[in-house]
Formats: sequence, structure tokens, C-alpha cells
Amino acid sequence: MYVIIVLVLVLAFCRACIRADVPEEQKPILRYKIEDESTSYQTEKNVTINGVDYLESQLPNGKFGGTFVTSTIGEGPKTFNPFNAKDNISSAMSEIMYDGLVTTDPETGETIPKLAKSFTVNGCEYLINLRKGLKWSDGKPITADDVVFTWQNIIFDGYGNTSTRDSVVIEGKLPTVEKIDDYTVKFVTPKPFAPFLRMLSSPIAPKHIFQTAVNRGKEYFDGFLSTNTEPKEFVTSGAFRLKEYVPAQRVVFEKNPNYYVINKNGEKLPYLDKLVYLIVGDINNQVLKFEGGELDEISLQGSNVARFKEMEKHSDFRVYNIGPDTGTMYIAMNMNNRTDENGKFYVNPVKQRWFQDKNFRQAVDYALDRKNMVFNIANGLAEPLFTPETLNSIFLNKNLPAYGKDIKKSEELLKKSGFRRDKAGHLVDKYGNHVEFDLYTNAGNTEREAIGVMVKQDLEDLGMKVNFKPIEFNSLVNKLMATLDWDMVIMGFTGSPLEPNGGKNVWLSDGTLHIFNQRLEKDLSSKRYPFENRIDYLYNQGALATKFEDRKKFYDEYQEIVYDEKPLIYIYSPIRIVALRNKFKNIYPTSLGGVTHNLEEIYIEDK
Amino acid sequence: MQILLYILKRIIQTIPLLIIVSLISFFIIRLSPVDPLAELRLNPSVSKETLQKETERLGLDKPIIVQYGKWAKSFIKGDLGVTSNGERVSTKLKERIPNTLLLTVVVIFLSWIVGIPLGILAAVNWKTPFDRILTVLTSIGMAIPSFFFAVLLLIFAVKTGWFPVGGLTSSNFLEMSFPQKFWDITHHLILPVTVLFTISLAGLQRQMRANLLDVLDGDYVKFARAKGLSETKVIFKHALRNAVNPLITLLGFEFAGLLSGAALTEYVFQYPGLGRLILEAVLKSDINLVMASLMMGAIMLIAGNLIADILLIITDPRIRGGQA
Repeated sequence: MYVIIVLVLVLAFCRACIRADVPEEQKPILRYKIEDESTSYQTEKNVTINGVDYLESQLPNGKFGGTFVTSTIGEGPKTFNPFNAKDNISSAMSEIMYDGLVTTDPETGETIPKLAKSFTVNGCEYLINLRKGLKWSDGKPITADDVVFTWQNIIFDGYGNTSTRDSVVIEGKLPTVEKIDDYTVKFVTPKPFAPFLRMLSSPIAPKHIFQTAVNRGKEYFDGFLSTNTEPKEFVTSGAFRLKEYVPAQRVVFEKNPNYYVINKNGEKLPYLDKLVYLIVGDINNQVLKFEGGELDEISLQGSNVARFKEMEKHSDFRVYNIGPDTGTMYIAMNMNNRTDENGKFYVNPVKQRWFQDKNFRQAVDYALDRKNMVFNIANGLAEPLFTPETLNSIFLNKNLPAYGKDIKKSEELLKKSGFRRDKAGHLVDKYGNHVEFDLYTNAGNTEREAIGVMVKQDLEDLGMKVNFKPIEFNSLVNKLMATLDWDMVIMGFTGSPLEPNGGKNVWLSDGTLHIFNQRLEKDLSSKRYPFENRIDYLYNQGALATKFEDRKKFYDEYQEIVYDEKPLIYIYSPIRIVALRNKFKNIYPTSLGGVTHNLEEIYIEDK
Repeated sequence: MQILLYILKRIIQTIPLLIIVSLISFFIIRLSPVDPLAELRLNPSVSKETLQKETERLGLDKPIIVQYGKWAKSFIKGDLGVTSNGERVSTKLKERIPNTLLLTVVVIFLSWIVGIPLGILAAVNWKTPFDRILTVLTSIGMAIPSFFFAVLLLIFAVKTGWFPVGGLTSSNFLEMSFPQKFWDITHHLILPVTVLFTISLAGLQRQMRANLLDVLDGDYVKFARAKGLSETKVIFKHALRNAVNPLITLLGFEFAGLLSGAALTEYVFQYPGLGRLILEAVLKSDINLVMASLMMGAIMLIAGNLIADILLIITDPRIRGGQA
């Protein structure tokens, strides 16, 4: 019996090998453009039919039915309660089920109405007109009561994850919300506060479902609508509602029959019957599942991109280049000049003189070969980055020119600060100290480790001695956040392409993630560098101004300062590549929205 | 009565053992530099207040010994606490245990059903070509690392499209009729079972063969043969009863491995069992979940040994005598 099993296996392997695979050593092609750029996405428009305010899809009519299968890496959602979500997956799941008052135009990044029919902003006043005749998935009407309840009783009262609440606190005061009539709501912020409009995209909860949970207190609310809840109990406003959740396997959503987006024939969308998220453990498994036909969509990285691009020719999927991602990779130097409780400096005073020297930081910056890193580490699938705003950000300062490696300029800058080479070629500062420091990153992140090796080589061209030390992630975080005994580090952040104020924890001088000059609780009032003060000012003003053009000025200047002072030296931003099966139509990829931003309009074409 | 007393004694003996195991595990996890909040700390959109709230909720602001005391107190009461995401550990485990049991029970059942007879056959046909071929095959089976074999089979599934790529059920499982559901699960189980079965079968077959060969050499077997008993009777009545003792001990270990033995294979096949849950918990230093799984492992091991010992008392009169 055993013999037979082995024989069958061997034979089967031979059968498997017959199918050609694409050789791995395919040269990476530097960039793929989004094809069909001529046809741009048309945003849905308001229409009123029989007193109901629908949104009408402007795309070609499609066929109803079918399933879209995508995936998420990791453990899957931790809660289905949109107000308790702390991780990306849980938030993504709740965004599918619950719509907010406003949303973001996937093409321009503007704020556009969603559950709201329209809105007007007048200084501190936000007047929201709701759509008439909308229904929750259980048939109850969506009214101003739901909106007021969500904002007042859940968000402002601090239920669940309080990060939305924390970010709308303006000088210690919360905005107010008030019902004008059944379909009109007024928000008033204590001061003009630009990011507030976008915060209105937070999901709106059905009052008749959440009321009891809120009455039973915060502790009960933390466990309310957890992953163990019966799918039938979910009442949603989004395009889909929960059908089934199988731990560690999948989340299945089914179409919400009461959704308020219609096509040009007046039929209610979404076209798809079901939306499935498979929960997979790692990238390799995800790729296998896509190749095995179990997934319809996948985000690609590294060498897989070239392989998929090659396979695309004789397969049923297409590879889309979505453009720069929100991820950033940067080098930070520890500019801390303070002492701990025992009077000991966090950073060796000799090194402090280097890291606090703008010329030194710029010299490091000019020594980096970003193009080489993009090509060799990111397989060409990244763009060199010079500012903290990512390349797809609507606030990106486009006047800051990119530049390449310039060793001569580095050496000039170092000379200006009194650095020189000794006989052996080592870099020495003006007091005769050898320039030698540690460069950290988190071990296991192969991308950052590779960058570390190249940074080390680039800096050695200047005669610096760099001890590259990848260490375990948690130890690194401890160093960065608590013990502060580090010299230089390679890290990454995820930014927001729409709202620079999301980076305030990094850029405000008392921020919790002010990584290059982290202030512990006891140091919060310590002296700031002049440029830190300026960024504090710009950040506060940028949030208080409400017009985009006014805000842009403040954020442009903050980017100029970072570009010049180099507290963080940005390296590159990856490009997002997505593969999607051809059978799906009405696909309009945009840099801000990705491939499936118009999920309700996507349909499957019969062969 | 004596057996009952013996069981009681053994159970009492396990109490200090469990305390030591829990102490060591708790302190190792807590003293390791893994910070359950590291991820949150590096997220620009997480506020200071949220971090503070999380630290308090997880009890990280208290000394380790206080944390341990709190955990031990609720553990004795039968409360396994909550995970770092606020879900109940017991419900988390309850979701996964049936899946893991399904996999391991099928594997153990199959490998014993096939492995024992194969071992007997090999021993009886000692040094014949049949035995030699089996030896080669089982050596291969024992030598293949399980994760490697699993990866190979996974690639095989992708290339041929004959098997699903990991998981336990298809996405339209809810709409299937019962026979379809049964087939769907079987279909998903084939590959992981093959991996575990190959490895466990090889070991078991070797063990059975060696034991039986040992016993077949004994004087009483020679005597039984000299008495003119039929070969079947000699082997099944006399030899096998003695050869099976070490296997009972092995069965005890198999019991211990019921919940944790398949972790690696589970991970490769993305099987929704305990292995994946616990690996993720360890990586995140989710203390209650890790502690629950470690304690469960310890209890299963102790219980497995106890069961094996009791079975031995029942099957082997020599041990029974010693106990009296």
C-alpha cells in the first residue's frame, strides 16, 4: 500500500513538472504604467427617484451575480465593531459593512458625500444633509438620529478605540453635534480644524442596534459585535453585510439588498452576490492560492512581479501598477542632547556633535545611492523619496528636486564642519575622534537589512565606520522609545496620502513617535531645535486652516524644512502592484483607491 | 481500588509539576524583550492615551510576580483570561481544538491501523525482500522533514490543481449538502494527512518491527513453537502481547501530541488549527493565550503518560504485581 502511495506521488510530481513555469531570473522591468489611462473613473452622482436619494453609478451597466475572492494576511479580523477596530484588517472589514457620511474621491482625493447627500463647510460649522429614504440592511430608516448617536454617544463619549476622538480634540475641547431635523445634522468645531471634514468618513452606527450596548457601559462595548457574534445580528449600511466568519479561514460577505447605489437602469447595486476574504498566514501561501485559482486578486512584491508579468501573457489575469504606495523607508539619526535620571547622556557627546550637525546629516544624505537601492533591493518597484509626504499625497511639495549620489558634495559639507581624513582614509572630526557609529534595523525584515548593507557601503565611501546591527524588532522599539541609546536606524512608516495631520505624532516635538529626538515624559518641556519649533508651528497652523490652498502652504514649508534639515533621510517609497482576474469588469485602478475602490460597481463578465 | 489510589497519587504528583512549568514559562515569556505593544507604538496614528489604556488593560504596568499571581488565580478558577485583542482565550481555543483533533485523530487512526500490521508483517518476514523494501521506504519516510514534504505537496497541489491549496473548507461550504461537505473536508484533509501519516507511519512500523523481533527471539516463543503451536497462535497469542508494551507508552505520547503535534504541518497548509493560533500568539507575546496552550500541552503530556501507565497495568501482570 505504502509503495503504491509513493509511486503515485512520484508520478504525480512528474505530471506537475510538465507544466512550464517561468524562470525566476527574469530581469526586472523598471516600471509598468497603468494601462488604459485614457478612460478615467467617473464618480457616482446623486439622483432622486420617488423621494429616495440614490447614488447613480456612471459606469457601463453590468451583470448581476458572482463572487469576488480576495485575501488578507495574518490572523484575520479581531472584531467586526467598527468603533473597536485597532488593526488594518478589522478596519477594512468594517468599512465594507458601514459607510461614513463622506468618502474620498479615488481619483482627486477630494472629500465627496457618501451617506450624506451634500455638505457645506462654513468656518467651524459643518452642515450635513442626509439622503432621504435610505434603509439599514434590516429595513429601518437611516436618519439624523443615527448620526448624532454615533458621534455623540459613541465617539465623543469615548467608547471603543478612542483614536478618532483623540484626533478631533482641539485645544482640549471636542466638537459638538446637533440634530437640526430628521435629515440635517450640524457639527461645530471649537476652532477651524481642517482634518475634521475627513474624519466624517468614520462609519455611522445603527442606533437601534448599538443603543443597548452603549447603555451597558464601555467594558461591554469592547466585546460588542466581536468575531463571535452571529452574522445575522449585523445591521449595515455598506454595500455588503456579514454572512459567515470562519476563524483562520475566511470572512464571507453577502450583498446588502438595501444599498443606495443604483446603476443607470435603476437596479440596486452591488452586482456581486458575495465578497470573500480568505485569511492566509503568509505571502507565500497567498501567491500559491492565487496561482491555484482560489484568489481573484493579490498584491505582488519583489521577484513575484516579474514572474507574474511574464505569466500574464498566457493566463487569465492582468497585472496593474497602482503607483507609489503610502509606505516610506527612512534613516534617522539620534539628535537627542539630553541626559537620563543619572545624568548620563543618552547619546555619547562625541556622536552628538555629529548627529546635531546639519552638514553631517546632509553629507550622509548625499552619499546615499537611492537609485541603486531602488533597482537592487526593490526590484525597480519603488521611487526615490526626499520628503515625508509620500509620492501619491495630495500635499506633496513638487518643488523639491530629486538628486542622486554626490560624493564630492558630501565631502565638501564634511570639510565645512571640520571633518578630515586621516592617513588610513578614516573620517576624523575636528577634535580627532574617528567617526564610527552603530546602524540598527529590525532583524528579519530582509528589505531593511539589504538597505542597511548598502547604506553601510555608501557611508564607507566617506570614510565613516558603520557597524550595521540588525536586532530583534521589540528590542529595537525599546531602544527607540525607551532607552534611547541608539545612533542611527533604518525604519519605515505608513503615511496618509490625504491628511498630513496624521503624522503629527512623528513631527510635533512632543509627539509619541518623534523618533529622531524622542522626548520621554520627563523631558517634554526641554529645549527644542529651531527647526522643531518651526515645524510645530506649521503643523498647528496647517490643521487650523480650512482651505486646501492655505493648508498646502504650511505643509509645503514643513516639507522644505525636512528636505533641508534631514532629521529623517527618506530613501524610497514602494510601488503597489496588483494582479486581478480578467473576468472582472468596471475596473478603474487609481493611485489613491487601488483596484477595488468601486467594489459595488464591479461585475463578472461571462465567457 | 489499588488502581484508583495509584491514579490519585499520580494526579497529586502533577500539581507541583504544573506550578513549576507555569512559573518557568511565564517568566521566560515576560522577561523576553518581546513587547506586546511594539506594533502599536510604531503606528503614527495611535495616540498616547490609547497606549496608556492598552498598557493598563494588559496589566503591563505591574511587576511580573503580580502579573503571575493574577494569572494563576484566574487559572485555578478555570478562567483562562482574554487575549491581547480582548477575546476570551477559551473561545479562541474552542474554535481551533476540533479542527486540530480532526487532523491528528485521523492521522493516528490511519497510522496505527496500517503501521502495526506492516510492522508485524516485516518482523515475521524478517530479511526477506519485502522487509528490505519496507525498511528503505520507512527510512525515507522518517528522513523527510515534515515542513519540506508539506511544501512539496503544496506546490504539487498548485501545479496540478487536483487539491485545494491549504485550508479546511471551501468558501461556498455553507451552501453545500452534507455529502458535499464531507467530500470537501476530506479533499482538504488529504494532503496534510499524507504528510503526517507518512512520518508517523514510518516510526510506528519500525518500532513494531523491532519489538516483535526482540520478542520472537525469546525462550518462551521458541518453547511455544517447539510445543507445536501454529505460527499464527505463536505470534498473536504469545509474542504480540509482549511486544506491544513499548507501543502503549508510545500511545501515551501520541495522546500528548494530539493537540500540538501537527503545528508545523498546520502552519504550512494554513490549516485552521491550534498550531497557527499559538505560533501567532508567541510572536506577539500574547501571554494568556501562550500560557493556556503551554499548560494544555503539559496537562496533555501528563495525562498521556498516566493513561499509558494505567493501560500497562491492565495489559501487563508484571507491573500489576509491582504495584501491589
